[in-house]
Amino acid sequence: MARLELKQIRKSFGPVDVLKGIDLTVEDGEFTAFVGPSGCGKSTLLRLICGLDEISSGEMIIDGQVVNDVPPAKRGIAMVFQSYALYPHMSVADNMGYALKLAGTSKEEIRSRVEAAAKVLRISDYLKRKPRQLSGGQRQRVAIGRAIVREPQIFLFDEPLSNLDAALRVEMRIEIARMKERLGTTMIYVTHDQIEAMTLADKIVVLNAGKVEQIGSPLDLYNAPVNRFVAGFIGSPRMNFLAVHGGRHEGGRVRVNGGTVSLNTLPHDTPSEIGVRPEHLQLCAPGSSNALDGRIAMTEHLGSDTYAYVSLEGAEEMIVVRLEGERSIRQGEQVGVFVNPDAVHVFSADGRTLVSAKPMARNAA
Amino acid sequence: MFDLSSTVSKVVFGLLLALIGLFLFFPLYWLIISSVKSNAELYSIVPTPFPLAPTLTHFITALTTGKLPMYLVNSLIASGSSAALNTLLALYAGYSFAKYRFTGRQPVMLFMLSAQMFPFGLLLISIYPLMSEVGLLDTRPGLILSYIVFALPVSTYMLYSYFSQVPDELIEAARADGASDLRIFHTIVIPISIPPIVTVFLYSFMWSWNDLLYSMTLIVSDDKRTIGPGLLLTYLNEVNSDWGGAMAASLLASAPIVAAFLFLQRYFIQGVTAGAVK
Repeated sequence: MARLELKQIRKSFGPVDVLKGIDLTVEDGEFTAFVGPSGCGKSTLLRLICGLDEISSGEMIIDGQVVNDVPPAKRGIAMVFQSYALYPHMSVADNMGYALKLAGTSKEEIRSRVEAAAKVLRISDYLKRKPRQLSGGQRQRVAIGRAIVREPQIFLFDEPLSNLDAALRVEMRIEIARMKERLGTTMIYVTHDQIEAMTLADKIVVLNAGKVEQIGSPLDLYNAPVNRFVAGFIGSPRMNFLAVHGGRHEGGRVRVNGGTVSLNTLPHDTPSEIGVRPEHLQLCAPGSSNALDGRIAMTEHLGSDTYAYVSLEGAEEMIVVRLEGERSIRQGEQVGVFVNPDAVHVFSADGRTLVSAKPMARNAA
Repeated sequence: MFDLSSTVSKVVFGLLLALIGLFLFFPLYWLIISSVKSNAELYSIVPTPFPLAPTLTHFITALTTGKLPMYLVNSLIASGSSAALNTLLALYAGYSFAKYRFTGRQPVMLFMLSAQMFPFGLLLISIYPLMSEVGLLDTRPGLILSYIVFALPVSTYMLYSYFSQVPDELIEAARADGASDLRIFHTIVIPISIPPIVTVFLYSFMWSWNDLLYSMTLIVSDDKRTIGPGLLLTYLNEVNSDWGGAMAASLLASAPIVAAFLFLQRYFIQGVTAGAVK
């Protein structure tokens, strides 16, 4: 159990600033996910927390103690690597007990802790095997088991599921969620998969180009993104963005490609773009009020959902409408896309959120 | 790869292989059969392709009357210790070049490899006075050191290329587990690097075992002489014509290398191809 504080953490590799001043607090027992596009610095930040790389400037505090110069093993931290990094020449049991052995723990103690962890992870039958005799999912469990036996104060996960196939990924995600419930330890999880972040995390940190864009609960980020980047990054399919013609509103209405849209809350600054999530749009008859006119360009049928791609009149861009269930929609059909004023996010020219949508049901009309 | 589907290509390929095989193995074959022929048969005007009455006399004479056993032991000492020392040095050097970033890493490595570009006969000219200066001439340590000079650059490079492929995450995982740098090297990296280590050991062992020039020049006392010059001085001189003895002794001299290869060929091949296919 531990509370982690980062104060103005910076990291440069030569002239390149990878992290540009990160401030973050991870509360005791909290599950925090770092998300962001490739190269945003999320893995670097995790490596700094682990102690594998040195911090260029700033302070890292675990339970009130500055740990900038404390070696990894003394930080009370265990890390699960993306490639699992199991020692290929050691058996599963030796892999899991290696850290304890180095720490001078007695043989009986090591054995009982390894066996306990193996039982939890359902790998007891494989303790004598070598890593190469295991499947991907089993290796992943061993890697997690290696972290568990150390009974760390903080768990670090570096994209732990990215090497698994889709079905196994879902299974392991549930496994990690169960582990989080059971252990109640502080956990930090790096991923580029926002579904993993949304489902597992208590708190998500969105990073972009070495800076924190927003910190909040998964639903905070979904409902009230502070800027266009977060709005576009969280949510799948991603939010539709439409440029506001003339960069202004007229009596609470903005003109965009395909028609005009009313706003429920007036922005206090010049609106440059509006954003609406695909699941908050609805198809309607062409020419309806508060709707954008367009033509169905293509559809994707997922069974549970149907994605309709509509090319708006006078625009090359397509917007996505996510409809519930199976819908039969003809390609080329003229349609209207109803925009609920409550569902509209408004962004300024520099990407700040001026107006957030109200939390709402899917396809609400 | 070659397309060996047609009969013609199969025949051509087979003939070529047979030709190469003939060139490679005929001398060896002749060595073996000559070592078991009697003197009378060896000196007959028409050479016999098979020994008519195989005999082990030459082997017994070589092992009991001459100094061959002593030469063999000397060689074993010189080659064994130079190979062991060389492998040990190359291990640490290769690992530091592969996994640590320090100023001058690249130039130092290039410098080391450049030693390989000089013909070794040429380097003898500078090694000889050097050894004489420090009093290592005609000593085993002197000979061992000079063998290491030659084997070390290539050995270091071989291990460097292998270690470069050891994933950093593995080393970092061990660091996070609380292992020191040396501990990581000894308990994680070395155990997974057995094939290239065996390869390097064999390479340097072979290099010094097969050497003639250095041993011939640096060693003058008969009691420290290694097998190469030993064979040469015993069997190749104006008054000698003991071909059977020479052949038997040569066979005995190559036995350790052949044995080592038979035992370790699995590692050797793994070591040579490691990283090539991954």
